[in-house]
Amino acid sequence: MKRIKAVVLKEAFHILRDPKSLAILFLLPVVMILVLGYSLSFDLKNIETVVIDYSQSELSRSLIQKFSHNQTYSVTQMVKGEGSQSPEETAEEMLKSGEIKQFIIIPQDFSSRIKKGLISHIGVVIDGSDSNIANIVHQYNEMLTFGFISELRDLKDIFQISTKLYFNPENKSVFYIIPGLVAVIMIMISALLTSLSVSREKETGSIELLFISPLQSHEIVLGKTVPYVFIALIEGALILAFARVMFRIPFRGNLWILLVFSLVYIVTGLSLGITISTMASSQKVAMMATLLITLLPSILLSGFIFPLDSLSPILRAFSYIVPATYFLEVIRGLILKGAGWKHFASQGLILIGFSVLFLVIASVKFSQQRKAGK
Amino acid sequence: MRIFYLFKKELIEILRQKEMLVLIFVAPILQTIVLGYVVTTDVKNIPVQVVNLSQTQDAYRIVNRINHSSLFDVKKISHIPEDYISIFKKGTAKAIIILRDGFNEGRRNLNYPEVQILMDGIDANTSGIAAGYFNGIVRHYIMTDIQKKGIEFPLKNKTVIRFNPNLESINYMGPGIVALLLTIISMFFTSIAIVREKEQQTMDTLLISRLTPIEIYTGKALPMALLGLIEMGIGILVVVLVFGIFIRGNLGYLLLAAAIFLFANLSYALLISTLCTSQQQALFFSWFSMVLFLLLSGLFTPVENIPSAFRWLADINPLRYLIRIIREIFLKGNDITYFINDLLIMSGITVVILSLSLFNFKRMVSK
Repeated sequence: MKRIKAVVLKEAFHILRDPKSLAILFLLPVVMILVLGYSLSFDLKNIETVVIDYSQSELSRSLIQKFSHNQTYSVTQMVKGEGSQSPEETAEEMLKSGEIKQFIIIPQDFSSRIKKGLISHIGVVIDGSDSNIANIVHQYNEMLTFGFISELRDLKDIFQISTKLYFNPENKSVFYIIPGLVAVIMIMISALLTSLSVSREKETGSIELLFISPLQSHEIVLGKTVPYVFIALIEGALILAFARVMFRIPFRGNLWILLVFSLVYIVTGLSLGITISTMASSQKVAMMATLLITLLPSILLSGFIFPLDSLSPILRAFSYIVPATYFLEVIRGLILKGAGWKHFASQGLILIGFSVLFLVIASVKFSQQRKAGK
Repeated sequence: MRIFYLFKKELIEILRQKEMLVLIFVAPILQTIVLGYVVTTDVKNIPVQVVNLSQTQDAYRIVNRINHSSLFDVKKISHIPEDYISIFKKGTAKAIIILRDGFNEGRRNLNYPEVQILMDGIDANTSGIAAGYFNGIVRHYIMTDIQKKGIEFPLKNKTVIRFNPNLESINYMGPGIVALLLTIISMFFTSIAIVREKEQQTMDTLLISRLTPIEIYTGKALPMALLGLIEMGIGILVVVLVFGIFIRGNLGYLLLAAAIFLFANLSYALLISTLCTSQQQALFFSWFSMVLFLLLSGLFTPVENIPSAFRWLADINPLRYLIRIIREIFLKGNDITYFINDLLIMSGITVVILSLSLFNFKRMVSK
């Protein structure tokens, strides 16, 4: 224990010697939460729509009203095309340049056909380049025209669907953006912190001193990890507190669960970093590897942006090796649902398993290098 | 010609370790493929639960359709009300659909069950999609049923989807992921290029050589620009071959845009490198910038949703323009008139960052 303490102190001095880096370290994540928390949202506002109304009748106007009264749409009517172009050609150009997301054509015989009891078709052209947006726009359109029809045919209350959003009645997207951000930032900070600790000593040659010391390999690895636990834990608490205060996220769960899981998650990140650090031959290899391993997988494979349930079993397996996946489940469950310890047993065990595995790999690797070094 | 030697030195320094080759070329390709499949996957198999409190044929048929749809993974079908909050707490279902008998007595044969959809608001993204699917299934059922009973619908939408008719997200996300990886790799390596020489005290060796500061600066930036372009080429090739994407626009313009973007990225990274005093600081600054660049690029969430206080961050983000140009070229096959503005703004940003970073570098050197 005493010997580990010596390494811990040495490493702690090393960290505190550079207060500027430390300040940067505490400041950057807070700025990230602030900017991204406000900026990321999947909501679709302002579906820019151009309507070309050839019918110019009472019926067509009430259909257009259906769209323009809906807040998600921003509707403009077009009567004439630009220059010698027909209105359709101009609208097509606007779609191409990205000015509008869709245009709708109401045919001349719209009103007369409907009054005769015949079917009238309206043309809808949607920009599909962002497939998600196109899908949503299509669904909204269908819903609005159905609303129009049911009023017309007096079928209004035939179709009753009510929706209710639990835990998050106002549908604030910060509730799912913030936990994701916290998970991504926390794992990256901790992994990046330790990724340099061994590789730096390799680069400066001071690793030889550690090699010839009486310390055992696992003691060195542990001693190099422990001081960062404090930094990362303070950092984590800062991020969580900031997210809570700035975005007024109600916290219904047990605070202890959150703290314990943050600690476990941080240790996972730190041990991942130190494993990379012992395997890499220089600081830049260590940093690059850490960035590649943590950044995109934590964003795309953790369920932060893309739902994991849809993935095929093979891809799903990749998400199981991303620690952020587990922490995200815990923090999402805790924040609003107030779930308890028993809901998160498996996540906790897996994260602890990861940490132990990483630390063992790092120790074994380190002692191998030590033997080779001697 | 002197600059060539520095160029060579830098290239050797980046590539002399075998692990570096793996990190620069193999890892990003693997990531492109795996992440490409992730972003391609349509949202389906959403875990849901069905509570059918109605005895009617209609309710039975609707439940049947939901049960057989690949969009859902129906965990349970029950006929009595349950404790819905605890279902969400356990996380077994993201959405619950409840069918009850309707009370439209006057309508005789048009009496459809009342539908209520409960969504887990924590993962509102997924549960919202599930609600949309439920809505679609129920509406489709009722509409066909009404038509069967002899009521014609007077209005139909004929929808045409332009540019990406099958709505495959890989067409858009695939090249985007290549751009993200390019940003990560080129920014990181360049951000430590100068600070490393400072930390190892080899900067003085460079400075007393006959190289001018501008030559040193260029010699630092060019090798990574070259590697970046090769990387981009390989990435695009992988996306095209693995995911079978068809490039509609001009490949030359794409390379031009990528080159301008790389220069913006590299000069920004060199700016970080001159400002920082240790590799660790450079690492944290480039990490911070990467995350902001990536998430504010418009690839994952619409740029219009960024509040005006932070909008400028997206406006000066070169990655945002590259993503837009990629979309124009890959999907729409538009010619240069449609993205000349984006190209010009990106070039403007590049010039500004480049001069800032050169200015800073010269000041650092003269000290």
